[in-house]
Amino acid sequence: MKQHFSFRETTMKRIAFAAATALGVSIAFAAKPRSAAAQEIQLTGPLAGAPSVRNLRLHREGRVELAIGPGFTLLDEYQRTIFASGRLNYNLTDWLGIGVFGGYGAASLNTDLTDRIDVTAPRNSRTATNIPPANGPSFASQTGKLKFMAAPQVIFSPFRGKLALFQKLFVDTDLYLHGGAAFVGVDERKDCTACTDASAFDTQTRIAIAPTFGLGLTLYTRGLLSVNLEYRAFPLLGGWNRSGYDTRGAGPDGSFPDNQVNEDDRTGKFNQMVFIGLGFSLPASPTVSP
Amino acid sequence: MKQARFWLLSAAAMLLPHAAFAQPRRPGEKAPALAQPATPPPPPPTSVPTDLGDIDSPAPAAGASSAGAAAAAGSTGSASSGSGDRVGGICDVDPSACAGTAPVGALRDRDVKADIYAVQQIYALRRGRFELMPYWSFSLNDQFVGHPGPGFGLNYYLTDVLAVGINGTFHQPFNTDLDFNFQNRRASRVAVPLNEYQAVATANFTYVPIYGKFSTFREFIFHYDGYVVGGVGVLRSRPIPVIDPDNRTFDWNSNVTMTAGLGLRVFINRWFAVTAELRDYIYVEQVENTRIAPTASQQRDPSAFKWIDEKPLTNNVQAQIGISVFLPFGWDYRLPK
Repeated sequence: MKQHFSFRETTMKRIAFAAATALGVSIAFAAKPRSAAAQEIQLTGPLAGAPSVRNLRLHREGRVELAIGPGFTLLDEYQRTIFASGRLNYNLTDWLGIGVFGGYGAASLNTDLTDRIDVTAPRNSRTATNIPPANGPSFASQTGKLKFMAAPQVIFSPFRGKLALFQKLFVDTDLYLHGGAAFVGVDERKDCTACTDASAFDTQTRIAIAPTFGLGLTLYTRGLLSVNLEYRAFPLLGGWNRSGYDTRGAGPDGSFPDNQVNEDDRTGKFNQMVFIGLGFSLPASPTVSP
Repeated sequence: MKQARFWLLSAAAMLLPHAAFAQPRRPGEKAPALAQPATPPPPPPTSVPTDLGDIDSPAPAAGASSAGAAAAAGSTGSASSGSGDRVGGICDVDPSACAGTAPVGALRDRDVKADIYAVQQIYALRRGRFELMPYWSFSLNDQFVGHPGPGFGLNYYLTDVLAVGINGTFHQPFNTDLDFNFQNRRASRVAVPLNEYQAVATANFTYVPIYGKFSTFREFIFHYDGYVVGGVGVLRSRPIPVIDPDNRTFDWNSNVTMTAGLGLRVFINRWFAVTAELRDYIYVEQVENTRIAPTASQQRDPSAFKWIDEKPLTNNVQAQIGISVFLPFGWDYRLPK
């Protein structure tokens, strides 16, 4: 233990020394007179006061955008979900829009943990509430799944620009934020009091409400099409029972199993997903700013 | 009074031709001839030096000899003495106007590449600069153990798009065994082997194929770039004893790791940027044996019964959020805009 402590102490000293050295070097560079200063261009004459961007293609303003594509959940414990998803937006201005994101859980894929439990978990009195009997359904059938999602949302796109790929290909882009409320169809093990019966491992679907937010990047062609990469978080703060286990409900603080599966066994989860979409915007041609 | 009016008119008449020199030349009008040196230089590949000569240099008489030109140059001041690099004009009147620019003679004589680049005067040049990159890292694909930690990267840009560098992340005190593992073990009696990281260090190449800019509300302009990174290094890890924690302890292992990733860098100014990077560290992990020896003596002896079982290829995907500081802070552009 002492050795462990001294190692940590030594490590902290090294970190502190490295940080102090880095800080000192940075200050030294900052304090050094600059022989080569960046050339800031001060606009004078007829360009003074002119807008920073002219003739900007307004890919959003007044346009309806439909984007479709797959969505993949991240950091799943028992089931990964692939959504067949889409998004419909109407952009009030070039930086503000409203819309709805929706997805259907087209596929639920077992994680390695789910398969491992199904194969190796002992079937005995200690696990009878949590693991189906050997001649019953698979463990995967009781695990929680995301069935669908509908999320009305607001889209805020303050960052608009372009990128050069290999200094050859130029693409209009924007970076946007979105936020709203997600109505999520959650399929999880149904409530039971006699939870060792084979029928007690069936699931039921309910709708959970979660805040949803994230950010995305859109790459525009000159007209109709765009490509979209979007990150979305939808933390189910009220929790959901992803394993189908009885883990809570008894004991002084309710943190021990009570041989019943119910809402006490739900735990919060910071659900996340990535959406890759192909977008279609109407009218097909964007307007151009003055 | 009449004499005064006469002298004023005479002075105005003498100044008129000089004022006309500043007017733009009409198409087809012949430029005033410059002084010709004894050995004429190669013809200028672009019009830039000629234009500079027109504006900055006095226009001597056509056909003047080189000696005459030298004498004329010498009479204008010290800036043009001897070397012939400067030809006088505005640089003599106001030297600060020419600060930071190469001498006109050097500009005239050099080779100029006639290429026109798609992106000129990139906002933040990288060639020859160091990049210091402190960041905070957290894992994206391990739902059992969190592996956050601080890190630091150092890159040197050989060109504007290619850099070599090193980076390291320190994980040891920040590994988090999540409550989910305990709940799963208690409910299913299945233990998942867990691993924790001490640190990872890699040597990298960075390539920057994407460069762009964003306008914010069409007012403020941010420049950004996208890059890919790849390299090789060492990741130190060890199993967390969860199968037989009473008997097993594990030392740190050094694992060779390959790394690949991509990142986004948003410049706040020409030397300071915010970065976000996604890295995959690929290595062979050592995993605790899920079986336990039948006897107590065997359980305590790793040579009698292996504590390490599988050695799977593992992907450690990390997101890294940080800042970049470029040194030196500034530079001079090679070509005018």
